[in-house]
Amino acid sequence: MKVSMSRQNIYLLVLSTLFLIFVLLFSFLVLIPKGKQYREQRNNLREKNRELQQYENFNSDTFKLLKKLQSDNRHIITAFKTDFNPQRFEKENKNFFSSLVISKKVYINKIEDEFSVYEVNTTSHISSPKSFYNFLDSINKSDWVIKVNFPINFKRDGDMIRSSFTMRVYKVAKDSNSSK
Amino acid sequence: MRYSYIKPRRKSIFTAELQLLFVFFGITVFMLFLTYAFLLFKDYRFSQDVKDIDTKRVALNINIANMKKQITFIEKENLLSERIYTQNMVLKDSITNLFDLVPQRITLSEAKLLKNGLILYGITPNKDIYNFMLQAPLRSIFHKTYSSFYPLKNGWFRFVSTNYIDDNEVDDEIDNILNTDDEVKNES
Repeated sequence: MKVSMSRQNIYLLVLSTLFLIFVLLFSFLVLIPKGKQYREQRNNLREKNRELQQYENFNSDTFKLLKKLQSDNRHIITAFKTDFNPQRFEKENKNFFSSLVISKKVYINKIEDEFSVYEVNTTSHISSPKSFYNFLDSINKSDWVIKVNFPINFKRDGDMIRSSFTMRVYKVAKDSNSSK
Repeated sequence: MRYSYIKPRRKSIFTAELQLLFVFFGITVFMLFLTYAFLLFKDYRFSQDVKDIDTKRVALNINIANMKKQITFIEKENLLSERIYTQNMVLKDSITNLFDLVPQRITLSEAKLLKNGLILYGITPNKDIYNFMLQAPLRSIFHKTYSSFYPLKNGWFRFVSTNYIDDNEVDDEIDNILNTDDEVKNES
């Protein structure tokens, strides 16, 4: 059987075959690998987005916790930051004492490089030990973090009691990571 | 001499069929390259997004670490202040107990509260009252108790009572509460 094809049809057949080969090669060598890569990257991006969401949630939770802590401990945080002012201290606590004299604060040391400790000596006159109890009650609510320290001396002085004691004032060290 | 009545038309290799074929081929090639361009563009976008996410993650990490530092520090501040406030309250209770301990018949002229002891100066009508009403409770609290008496002209006695707690016990009972003191001392 003799198949007769015109020259035109032969051109068409050759061109179509070449084009088919090109399409197949392009698809298998370029498009399909690229498509696979695309799918991998899309999954990778989804994974990264999920991780980022987790980080954002954790960040949000940590932020809430920090704000809550800052809010709950506002007094302590402020007290640790406040510089001790003997005049202000005398003014705030003069109700408990007939007289109150505070020496200049002396730097003692640091605790874990985060808190500076200062010491002040106090001499006062009180009418009764009750005044001193009230003073100890109020010192925990004062503008500074203060610890009344030993030795504490009470001596009768006429109708009054002369008391002398040291106080340790705790403050955030300037070079520490303060809670701003 | 003309052999045909019509004007001869030029023959081209691009026949109508071939042109149609080229149009289809063109559309196919265009779609292939469009897909490829789409994939390339998406590839670029993905890598940009991943970069952005990584940058955000690093920033979040730094932020979280910073906040954790602040939280730890606030907790430290809270702990330290609690210790100090507790110590102040313990001190208040100690002084209250001390003054409650002294019977009405004994008059104190001076009291020195030390970290590991107590020194009392005062006047007592006689030694028995002192021994039974003041020294006995003091002995139950302190490990070492020393008393000295000095007779007065009116028959009463001036006394000095020195009382100490063993250092170990002081460390256990007081320094646990006053932990901050030790930290200061250790560093100095």
